[in-house]
This record gives sequence, C-alpha cells and structure tokens, in this order.
Amino acid sequence: MTPRILIADDSETVTSLLTVALQTSGYDVETAKDGVETYEAGKTGDFDLVVLDQLMPGLLGLEVIQKWRNEGVEHKVIMLSGVDDDRFVVDSFEMGAIDYVRKPFRLPELLVRIKQRLDT
Amino acid sequence: MSGFHTVELFALVVFGVNAVLVAGLITLKTVHRRRTVDYDRRRSHYVTVLSRHLAFENCADPLGRDAATDPAFLDALIDVRRTVVGPELTTLGDIASRYGIITELMHRLRRGRSRGQRLRAAVALAELGDGSSARVLMDHLSDHEAEVRLQAARGLGRMQWTPAIDGIVNRLEVETPWLRARFADTLVGFGGKATAPLTTYVRVNHPFETYGPVTAVKTLATIGDSQAVTPLLEVLEEAENPEVEIAVIEALGILGGPAVIAPLQRKSDSPDWRVRAKVATGLGTVGDPSSAPILARAMCDANWWVRRNAAAALAKLPGGSDSLYAAIDGPDPYAGDAAAEALADRGDLEAARDRQAVGETTALDEKLLAYVEAVVEVPA
Repeated sequence: MTPRILIADDSETVTSLLTVALQTSGYDVETAKDGVETYEAGKTGDFDLVVLDQLMPGLLGLEVIQKWRNEGVEHKVIMLSGVDDDRFVVDSFEMGAIDYVRKPFRLPELLVRIKQRLDT
Repeated sequence: MSGFHTVELFALVVFGVNAVLVAGLITLKTVHRRRTVDYDRRRSHYVTVLSRHLAFENCADPLGRDAATDPAFLDALIDVRRTVVGPELTTLGDIASRYGIITELMHRLRRGRSRGQRLRAAVALAELGDGSSARVLMDHLSDHEAEVRLQAARGLGRMQWTPAIDGIVNRLEVETPWLRARFADTLVGFGGKATAPLTTYVRVNHPFETYGPVTAVKTLATIGDSQAVTPLLEVLEEAENPEVEIAVIEALGILGGPAVIAPLQRKSDSPDWRVRAKVATGLGTVGDPSSAPILARAMCDANWWVRRNAAAALAKLPGGSDSLYAAIDGPDPYAGDAAAEALADRGDLEAARDRQAVGETTALDEKLLAYVEAVVEVPA
C-alpha cells in the first residue's frame, strides 16, 4: 500500500516542493497550510508520516501534536522548522517527534530521512 | 430657476459624482484583485516547475518565455532559494543563468528607468547571490542610492566575494551611522576573512571618529574570530575615546581567551564608570576565577551599574559565590543589595525557599533569606 504523508506548512513553496518530490518517489501526499487544518487532517486522516512546520497560523506545530496526543491520536512526526533554537529541538523530541530537520533544508537528505522513518 | 430646482440639480450632480467615484473604485479594486490572483497563479506555477527541476535531475519542463522579465518568477525563484541548501542552489543558479535572469537584473540595475526598478534589481541580485553578478555589484558599492549600495554589499557578502571586503569596510568611513551598522552586518557573512581589514580600519580610525570604529568592533565580536584579539588589545591600550573602549572591552569579553584577562582587569580602575561597568560584564563572560577579587571590589563601586554588573559577573564566575555571600553580611549595604539581587537572579533565593519549605536549609540559605527578609521589612 502506498504510504500517506501529510505536509503541514504555511509556505506554499515548501508544500509544493515536497509534494512534487514525494509524489515522484511514489508517496501519496496531502497538504495543510495552517495549524487548525493540520490538526483536523491529522485527527481524521490515516497518515503514515507527518512533516510538520512549527510556525504556522492558527496553531503552532507543537500545539498540534499536543492536541492530537490529548485525543489519543498518534502520528510519526518529522519537525521541519526554521526555529534555530536547541531548546525547541529538545521540546520537539519530548513531545514525541521522531526527527527534526532545520530550514533551509537539503531536499535529498529530507527525502532519505522520510524514507527511513517510514521503514522503521 | 427656482431655489428648489437649484437644490435638486446640486443633489443630482453630487449623486452623479459619487456614482462615478464608486464605480471607479470598484473597477480599480476588481482590476487589482485580478492582477493579484493572476500574479499568485503565475508564482504558484513557477514554484511547481522549479520544484520539479529540483526533484528530477534531468527535468526539462519549460518555465515560459517571459520568465526572465516576470516579477512572479523572480519572487518564486528567491523563495525556493531560501527554502533549500546544498546542490539545489546550484541547480537554481543554473536555471537563473539559463533564462537570463541575472543578465536581465544586472541590466536593470545599471540602466533601470526608475529608482524602484533599480532597487528591486539590487535586492534580487543580493538575494540570488550569483557569482556572475559580483563585478556589477562591486561597481554599485558607490551607487548614488544608499539602499542600492547596501544591497550590493549584502549580495557580495552572501556570495563571500572577498575582493569586496575592503570596499565594504571603506563604506564605514563615509556612510551615515544607521547605514554603517547595516554595512557592518554584511561583513559578518565573510567570517574570519573580514577580520584583518576590520581591525586595520579600527586601528587607523579610532583616534579620529567614534561610530565607524565602534560598529567595526561590534562586527568583529559577532564574527568571533580570535585573530582579532591582539589588534583589539592594542586599540584598548591606545584608545582615549570611552565609546571605543567600551566596544572593545565588550568584544574582548566575547572573544575571550587568556590574553584578554589581564588587560581587562587593568581597565577596572578606569575613571569612567561606563568602562568599569563593561569591564565587570566582560570579566564575567570570560569567566576566569582570578577576576573574583576585582569583581568583589567592584561590588563596592560608587556607581550602581558597576556594582550590579560586578555581582552578575560573580554569579557566573567559578568560585564567585563565595564573594557574593560574603558581601551579604559585609560592611557595604550597597554591595549586599547587588549580591542578593544577583543570587536571586541566578535562582539561589528560590532554591533556598524551596529548601526552607522542607526544613533543609543550609547556612548560606539562611544568610540569604535573612538578608532578603530584612530588606523587605525596612521600607514597610
């Protein structure tokens, strides 16, 4: 079955870039452009992985994870964020993120990480 | 014509004029909205095509004939460029060259008809940071438009075009204070390569002016290259301008290392309280325990800022706690206040209260708690 990935980022450039790259690699991709949309999509959707931005309108990335957890929803989350703060990286892992990638990012590296995380 | 008809005619004219204005406004808004939607659609298309170029190694999807002159493409290209790093930047640079974007921007910068057109070209070239535009950007370091000069420096900094360093440093002598700071920021991108030109600039100019050398010293601190320590120590010995002294002390505190300790300690006797205050902070940042007695003495300084900075520095210094707790029941009440504040800021007071709550206070906890309670009681 084709793995389903949710890309949550308010930057159209990021979602477009990742959508094209991931669809090319054979994944089924959905996108969300703000925190509320991400929360709703994650609550109802069955995703194998979520690529999640932190700074989004509506809800922050970590707030989205918290709300999912409160409702018993578990997703594999890779944080993709421009927040350059070690404390935030630690917070992300403590909240249950399985990986953290800083923006700007290397596309091949991100794709390999996504593949690895889907395989584990 | 009767009075009634005059009023009626006037009302009709007012109504007519209003109707024309409203119709004009609606038309303008509609046109603007359509343009925005069209712009966003084109931009979105370009982002998708650029994404394909990055995702497929041999992607041949065309961008469109008008891409080179379409601001939506430039916008998309810059945005994608900000999103990725690594070999993808080369791919984007190749696309920009293939479609003649850089050539077009350089042409606009040189011969643009309006100020806005030239400025947008300069900003785009700075964002793209393509090496092929370096010579043109070098020429525009002395452009008559300040923002164009600045964007040229930013672009050269982004591409780390080292021949431009001297030209940018020279701008520190002639630009206004606000622009100097922004020019100095562009030098940070060059890293250690900018250290020698900046230190030379500071050494030559600090006796004659303040703001330029101070800005350059702050840039050296941001770059953080230890090669700047020796020339800055020489400036510290020679400088008679307290503003320059303060900037150098701050930079030396950040750069750190054993060589800066003794010169900073010597400056703790400066007649200028601003220098003494900055020395206290600097010694705390460097963190050498040999500074503890000097900082303990500075807690009794006549100036409040010096006392406060010295106590804060001692709170960071290995072994500095002894001096702070000693000051609490020492003869100088001002030093006691500064010490208690620094200990509270460090979290000692809160920890002491937590231990007090479970009956596990130490002798130092009791000393601090007693001092704070006494201070609170006096004003009441």
